[in-house]
Amino acid sequence: MEDEPDEISKLLRLKRFEQPPPEYFERFLEEFKDRQRAQLLREPAWRIGWDRIVAFIGEQMPARIGYGLASTAVLAAAALASFNILENRPVEIIASNTPAPQQAPAQTPSFALNSPQVQLPDLPSLARTASFTTPRYVMDAQPVSYERPSSF
Amino acid sequence: MAEAVPVNPDIALVARTQSGDAKAFDELVVKYTPRLYGLVYNMTSNHEDANDLLQDVFAKAFRSINGFRGKSSFYTWIHSIAVNMTINFLKKRGRRFQMSLDDVDLNIQNDKEFIELTASSSPIREADLGELQQKLNESMLKLSPEHRAVVTMFDIQGMPHAEISKILGISEGTVRSRLFYAHRQLQAHLEEFRKK
Repeated sequence: MEDEPDEISKLLRLKRFEQPPPEYFERFLEEFKDRQRAQLLREPAWRIGWDRIVAFIGEQMPARIGYGLASTAVLAAAALASFNILENRPVEIIASNTPAPQQAPAQTPSFALNSPQVQLPDLPSLARTASFTTPRYVMDAQPVSYERPSSF
Repeated sequence: MAEAVPVNPDIALVARTQSGDAKAFDELVVKYTPRLYGLVYNMTSNHEDANDLLQDVFAKAFRSINGFRGKSSFYTWIHSIAVNMTINFLKKRGRRFQMSLDDVDLNIQNDKEFIELTASSSPIREADLGELQQKLNESMLKLSPEHRAVVTMFDIQGMPHAEISKILGISEGTVRSRLFYAHRQLQAHLEEFRKK
C-alpha cells in the first residue's frame, strides 16, 4: 500500500502542470528522425558498428559473458596457484646428498614350459653389483646408546 | 477453458522494430515521449537539456533494441535508460546552469489539490504561481540526482514504489528511505511557503 501523500507530495504534484507547448510533442518525432539521419551522415561507419557491438555486449554481459569470464578467471587463478605450489616444493637435502642405491639389473630367470631346467640368476654377480650405502635417513645426530644413563 | 492473455502492445512493437520495421519504433517514441519528457524535465529543470537528453535516450534505445530480451517490460527498460542517462548528465553538469522552465498550464487553477493548498485554511500561504514554481524547482535542484529521480517518479509522476525499485535496480526499502530523506530536505527548503 502506498503512503498517504503529505503536504510536500501535494506541492510537488503541482509540477505536473509545467508543460511544454502542445506542438512540442508533435514535432519531437520529426526532430528525432532528423537527428538520427544527421548523425548517420556525420559518424563514420566503424563508429556506428562499434556502438552496436558495445550495446550488444552491454546487454549480454551480465547474463552470459560475465559468468563465462568470471569462471575463466577463477580457473586460471587456480591453475596458476597450483603450478606455483608444485614449482616451489621443498627439496629434501639429505636425499639429494645421498646417492640412490644402484638398481640391480633386472634379471628374470629364463623359464619355459618345455625347458627341463630352470636357470637361476647369477647370484654372486648380483651380490657384486648391489652396493651397500649409508642409511638415507638419519634419525638423530647421536646414537641412543651414546646417551648418558640417567642418574638417580 | 483457457482465458485469453492480453497481449502487451509494446512487445509487438519491439518485435517489429527488432525485425527492422523502424515505423514501429516511431510508435514507441510517440507513446513514451510525454511521460519520459516529464521525467527528464523534472529532474533537470531545463527544457533544452530535457529535449536533448530525450533525443539521446531514444537514440540509445534504438541502437540497443536488439539486445532487449523482454526480461523487464519495455516501459521499465526505457525508463531505466532515461533515468541513468539523466543522472549521469546531472553529475557532469554540476551546479553551473540556468533554469529554463516550461509554462505552468493554467488548468492548475481548477486543480483540486492546488485549490486546497492555496485555500485560506491551508498552511501554504498564497503565493504568486511563478514564485511557487521557481521555489519548487530550486528546492528540487538542491537534492542529489538520485533523490531527485525518486521524488520525480513518485511524487510528480505517481509511480508506485515497486515500479521505481525496478527502474532504479534498488530495493523498495531504499526507495522509501530516499523518499523520506528527500521530503525532509524539501520541507526545510519550502518552509517559507508555510503560513506564519
